[in-house]
Amino acid sequence: MSVAILAPRGRDAEVARQLLDKENIASVVAPSVEKLTHYVQNQIGAVLVAEEALIGTEIEALQHSLQMQPPWSDVPFIVLANGTASSRSAAAKLRMDALRNAVLLSRPLHAEELVRAIRSALNARTRQYEARERMVKLEFREQQLYESEAKFHAIADSVDQMIWSTLPDGYHDYYNRRWYEFTGVPDGSTDGEAWNGMFHPDDQERAWSKWRHSLATGDPYEIEYRLKHRSGDYRWVLGRAQPVRSSTGEIIRWYGSCTDIHKIKIAEEQRQLMLAEMNHRVKNTLAMVHAIVSQTLRQADSLQDAQASIQSRIGMMAQAHDRLIQSTWTETKIDEVVEAALVPHRSGQGHFKVEGPDLPIGSKQALALTMALHELATNAAKYGALSIAAGKIHIYWDIIDQGENAVFEFNWVESKGPKVEQPSRRGLGSRMIEQALAGYFNGSAELSYKTEGLSFVLKSLSKGLTD
Amino acid sequence: MASEDKSKPAVLIVEDEPLIRMEAVDMIMDAGFKTYEAGSADKAIAMMELHDDIGILFTDIDMPGTMDGLKLAAYVRNRWPPVAIIIASGVVELERTSLPEGSAFFPKPYATSQITKTLHDIAVRLH
Repeated sequence: MSVAILAPRGRDAEVARQLLDKENIASVVAPSVEKLTHYVQNQIGAVLVAEEALIGTEIEALQHSLQMQPPWSDVPFIVLANGTASSRSAAAKLRMDALRNAVLLSRPLHAEELVRAIRSALNARTRQYEARERMVKLEFREQQLYESEAKFHAIADSVDQMIWSTLPDGYHDYYNRRWYEFTGVPDGSTDGEAWNGMFHPDDQERAWSKWRHSLATGDPYEIEYRLKHRSGDYRWVLGRAQPVRSSTGEIIRWYGSCTDIHKIKIAEEQRQLMLAEMNHRVKNTLAMVHAIVSQTLRQADSLQDAQASIQSRIGMMAQAHDRLIQSTWTETKIDEVVEAALVPHRSGQGHFKVEGPDLPIGSKQALALTMALHELATNAAKYGALSIAAGKIHIYWDIIDQGENAVFEFNWVESKGPKVEQPSRRGLGSRMIEQALAGYFNGSAELSYKTEGLSFVLKSLSKGLTD
Repeated sequence: MASEDKSKPAVLIVEDEPLIRMEAVDMIMDAGFKTYEAGSADKAIAMMELHDDIGILFTDIDMPGTMDGLKLAAYVRNRWPPVAIIIASGVVELERTSLPEGSAFFPKPYATSQITKTLHDIAVRLH
């Protein structure tokens, strides 16, 4: 920190310099106002100037530089006065004012006065520099804070999660953009405790009690609940929060997030439903197999017969299931069911004539019809139209009448086969055809053992096909 | 096939799957019981009203219509308290408390011997 000295006349400058030297105060002599202006611009510590030197046009440049000082800076001037204040002209007073921070020392110079004035000016100037340093530091910190906040917002708004934060008492005072994008509510409208209203009514109480528990104990918060989406639908989200503690262990804030888990949750629910449905179907199928095996064994002539019947009947069931899986499990087409049931019995000899419209048929009915056709064809191969080359079987079905009382009719008529005799007892085949099939269609079924050929007719309301 | 025994109570078999119902009817008839059958809870109640010799209800749970087997069992227990109830079902997660008190439960598919033993035990108890 040094002192610039401008005192062009006489020995004032030299005397002042020596005096300051002795006091260990650095100084430079400015030969002109222009040079002094240069020192001022370069933030000199203080200026010692003779009043008579402050004239001429260069003074304007100095005044300008003084005006342009940064806010913290005010170069102190010690002016060696000409005469007394009362003798000073108005113009001279203005010039003095233009220096902004000037004290007057009268001449002749008194050494101690001068040194004290200079010291005081330099001290003040040092304080200015210190103030500047503190200000710069503060500005830097402010900038850092601003940048860190901007960084936080950039991160918080870039993640897929909704992020929120609360005061230690649970008062919500921050949500990231995702929260507002998801919920569609106006900024700030869910501050405080209004967030709870965004939850599904059935989840509000549960969420509140969990949150209260976390606030009371500091335990992490975790809960799955339904959050109201801007579309008006509720979507499953996973809510989590953790407290941030001070060095003394007190909770300063809570930071939380919500993750949209709706798709995962729905997929999981569907998987559970599907598993339950599969289990139900498997159990049902096993119950059917159980019934078929018991029934077959009950009426079989020999174990060998029973084995063959059980195998072909279960094989038929398996085949019917294949087709149901290929369609949607709930419905298939009747012509496909008939065709598939007849395939194992087709010999290429043109026994079958099949006619009927392409009607939808329920899974249970499809299975029952497959089983019944299998029984009819097996019987025909043993005793009926499929046992000789000339035998014919006419299979036809249709919907008779329309509307509520529309009737579905399905016929199986054998001809040109061996002469038919009334069987001595009713086996599972015929019971399956008459009782079971009729039951599945909620209608009636009848087998006729006419001499010219066995025939069978199933009648039900047409809604029996799919009900 | 054992002959029908007048001293035994008649059994009402309620099952919506015709094939399974057919087998259940045969099984219970073979055990020497008179049988009635119904494909739904509504039809079962009509049967109960019509035949006062029914002493045992043998029902499935999962059935279409307004009433499933559990509701039917509860209804029967309430309206005809002496009628014994046997429930058979493939339902996986069943709350035992949802069954009427004193009723027997068998998972499907069931063993014939278990059902006939239970029927005979009930017949002895009711006699």
